[in-house]
Amino acid sequence: MNGYLGIDVGSVSTNLVVINEEQNVITNLYLRTKGEPIKVVQQGLQDLKEEIPADLEIKGVGTTGSGRKLASVIVGADIVKNEITTHAIASSHQVPDVRTILEIGGQDSKIIILRDGIVVDFAMNTVCAAGTGSFLDQQAGRLQIPIEEFGDLALKSENDVRIAGRCSVFAESDMIHKQQLGHSVEDIINGLCQALVRNYLNNIGKGKDILGPIVFQGGVAANKGIKAAFAEALDTEIIVPENYDVMGALGSALLAQQKVAKTGTTNFKGWDSASLDYQPSSFECESCTNRCEVIEIYVEEELAARWGHRCHKWDMV
Amino acid sequence: MVKIGIPKTLAYYVYFPLWKTFLEELGVKIILSDDTSREIIDAGVKETVNDACVPIKLFHGHVLNLKDRVDYLFIPRLVSLNGQTIYCPKFLGLPDMVASSLDDLPPILAPDIDLREGLLNLYKVIFKLGTKFTSNPLKIIKAAYKAKQDWKQFNQYLQAGYTAVEAMDKLNGAEIDLNEGDNDLKVAILGYPYIIYDPFVSVGMIQKLRELGVKVVTADMIPEPELEKNFKGLSKELFWTFSDQKIKAGLHYYEQADVDGIIHVTAFGCGPDFIVDKKLELEGKRRKDVSFMCLTIDEHTGEAGIVTRLEAYVDMLKLRSDRNESSLTVS
Amino acid sequence: MKVVLPYLSNSHVALKSLIESFDHQVITNQPSKKTLSLGVQHSPEFACIPFKILLGTYIEALENGAEMIITSGGKGPCRAGHYGQLHKEILEDLGYEFEMIVFESLTDSFRDFFGKIRKVAGDASWIRIFKTIWREWNRLTVLDKLQQKVHKVRPRELKPGHTTDVFDEVVDLVAQAESIAEIKEAKKQGIDKLEAIPQNKDFEPLKIGIIGEIYVVLEPFANLEVEKVLGEMGVEVDRSIYLSDWTEEHSFFVPAEDPARDAAKPYLDQLIGGHGQESVGSTVLYGQNDYDGVIHLAPFTCIPEIVAKSILPEVSKEEDIPVLTLFLDEKTGGEGIRTRLEAFIDLLLQKQGRKEMKIS
Repeated sequence: MNGYLGIDVGSVSTNLVVINEEQNVITNLYLRTKGEPIKVVQQGLQDLKEEIPADLEIKGVGTTGSGRKLASVIVGADIVKNEITTHAIASSHQVPDVRTILEIGGQDSKIIILRDGIVVDFAMNTVCAAGTGSFLDQQAGRLQIPIEEFGDLALKSENDVRIAGRCSVFAESDMIHKQQLGHSVEDIINGLCQALVRNYLNNIGKGKDILGPIVFQGGVAANKGIKAAFAEALDTEIIVPENYDVMGALGSALLAQQKVAKTGTTNFKGWDSASLDYQPSSFECESCTNRCEVIEIYVEEELAARWGHRCHKWDMV
Repeated sequence: MVKIGIPKTLAYYVYFPLWKTFLEELGVKIILSDDTSREIIDAGVKETVNDACVPIKLFHGHVLNLKDRVDYLFIPRLVSLNGQTIYCPKFLGLPDMVASSLDDLPPILAPDIDLREGLLNLYKVIFKLGTKFTSNPLKIIKAAYKAKQDWKQFNQYLQAGYTAVEAMDKLNGAEIDLNEGDNDLKVAILGYPYIIYDPFVSVGMIQKLRELGVKVVTADMIPEPELEKNFKGLSKELFWTFSDQKIKAGLHYYEQADVDGIIHVTAFGCGPDFIVDKKLELEGKRRKDVSFMCLTIDEHTGEAGIVTRLEAYVDMLKLRSDRNESSLTVS
Repeated sequence: MKVVLPYLSNSHVALKSLIESFDHQVITNQPSKKTLSLGVQHSPEFACIPFKILLGTYIEALENGAEMIITSGGKGPCRAGHYGQLHKEILEDLGYEFEMIVFESLTDSFRDFFGKIRKVAGDASWIRIFKTIWREWNRLTVLDKLQQKVHKVRPRELKPGHTTDVFDEVVDLVAQAESIAEIKEAKKQGIDKLEAIPQNKDFEPLKIGIIGEIYVVLEPFANLEVEKVLGEMGVEVDRSIYLSDWTEEHSFFVPAEDPARDAAKPYLDQLIGGHGQESVGSTVLYGQNDYDGVIHLAPFTCIPEIVAKSILPEVSKEEDIPVLTLFLDEKTGGEGIRTRLEAFIDLLLQKQGRKEMKIS
């Protein structure tokens, strides 16, 4: 049996997906990156190997996310693609007539507008965390409530509480204020969900033609409170697809299948790459005033890749 | 009767008495947007380009509040009213921004008011606008004359220390007691009219200070010739009318040194204000006798936050005047 | 005297040569991360990135013994017209001693403008002054012409980075030229060198127009080398603005007819300062000239470009040309920009219905 592997290395989570020739997801993994992308990709590969059928052969690999280059060095990717495109591809695969994708991950969030299966507009959050999952994580920590329970609690809310704040720091102080005023935890959590949705729509969603069908994906899509807040704010049904939390990886697996169909061969280094020794190192190049931070990856003490430089001085042939 | 909608923000706080008399004399019914509210701010924030300042977002909110109940929207393009300084680029592009950002708007009346082209230009604008509602030129002239009188009266009230809202009420015949008792302290509030006179946006700052026993002075209370004297304190006059007035007023109060403190009130995202604020701050650093504070207003400003700061500031000024010390500054 | 000027990409070659013709030594550093962090440290938070980079540039030079700052002013309503004066106040507050010369627009005051030239030029005769200006003006235009050529060659180069390397040599050639004749010769050689770069002549690149505020469009340090990154992704870029155009309009000659302003009129019928109206108009023109997309570069908090940004979605729809706005500040990261550029190119390719491109 043939399979295609997609890996999405983000700052918060790393996801791996294997699909078969029929583009069905055979298995998927959601791991925390914890600042150690190499380790987590290798761990993911080992775990995957255990889970997939013994007769499955990986015919192609795609990587995406902010660590896409790094991951491609480790596994040998056939295609390295930015996460906006991979998310769009996965989404239109699952919901073919999708016209709006709302994606909220741990550290970043995006909106992608499609028409007839083609991306026509997109936006990504810039520096602010107020429209991302880490906003909820922070507040959950402050309320000492596990983030997994947030959604269900929000749905139990009976009164609207407005938590103000364009920024998570302000929102936090406003939330404390509201707690002091004596609002129930459910109402406050619901208020936080609405605040996140409001920030998202006012920042990333601004000026975008948000039309249905609307797909909501990314790790935060598990939160029913946010889903409900979106449905209320946009006054439409919100679809959360089956593989909502691994869409980037799914998209790169789909792209890998497409790519290999054309080239006929894969760069996949095999499962052994999970046990090789990878050592990253970096240095500041002093050739010009750019002072680029050049990153090098050594495999078994041999230089395998180098990036981070703006010019071509450190290119590897 | 033709219904013309005027958003109750931005230039409203400066020119409304003028527009009102002029348009009403021509038989137009003026519809104002509601007072600034949470709802209006939220609606504006939702529709306006992210990077815009709070006042521009607020303006969009007021337009949304008006658009379904009027025949026209009145959004004059204020370019230059004194023939020298101009308004902030966001004012210059305001009618275009509104038209691009908001859907289903009634027609916008956006006369270009640019007196750099000479006074003749103003007459042209007045007639062009006037002939929309009457074919009688005499009526237009009369309306314009009457409008000018009312506006003059309005400015006299401002100079006497009334806020723009109070001055408009007085024009309508209301009795207002400024209750000028013995005040220990005098503080200059420097901020654009649409910030400091809008009770919601400024969280009633002027009233709060008065209640704390402070005499409040503003840029509007300085007669024009007095204000212009402060030109020499500037290496280059600011391009923007309101900013120019604000910084000259700041220099005036620093120079007179008869205020205890200067509060600069600025809106989050205001472009020109980083220059104004830095200059006022540097000036304050050079003169130790007047204490300078900057308050930033944003779309979420809570009353509690502003009141806390004002109270602390006033306490500090009191302490300082008690001790007769003069080396404290706050930022 | 030791002089510092704002650094503006390759144009610096001409500006430096101009000032050094009058017995000064220009000690401007190319901006670096250190420049930016110095600037950020001493600038108000909501100042735009050009303000911060310039302030950092001045501080670095003053630390190295600069005695004079030469910069340009403006008539507004863009804030940059006040930067010279505010920089001066901030630098003086930091305790530096220096002379500051701000060239305001010639149309503002002839006396002021020529007085300042005299100050910079010392006792050089007016004939020599004008000859020097004319020579450097030629150098500036030649640099801009060569830059345009680079934009065409880069997407087609066979070896990544080749064009950039050759262009660096070519800029040196132009810098070394001592007369107008030599500048012209350097231009000829430069074009030849650029054309000699091995290229895939059959490759039909995507065409993207770059619009926005002049400083962030011109200075690669501020825009994270967006032109180079795009070029190496196989995109032919066209810049809506060059320093030679700007100078022509702002100091020496009568304002020329500007097609971009006319094109902007249906959407924004008012000069709003900076390059706000040009941004709108250039987008219209790129749309009409069958470009595939437009990238709008603006400093974070830039007033005229905020006005432009609020109008561009309508222009994009009407003229059927995708627009990507990038607001730049000190927090902007190269990776984030790259991801957006890649996704934007994917979008343009999908729109074209084309699949293969040399995207890394």
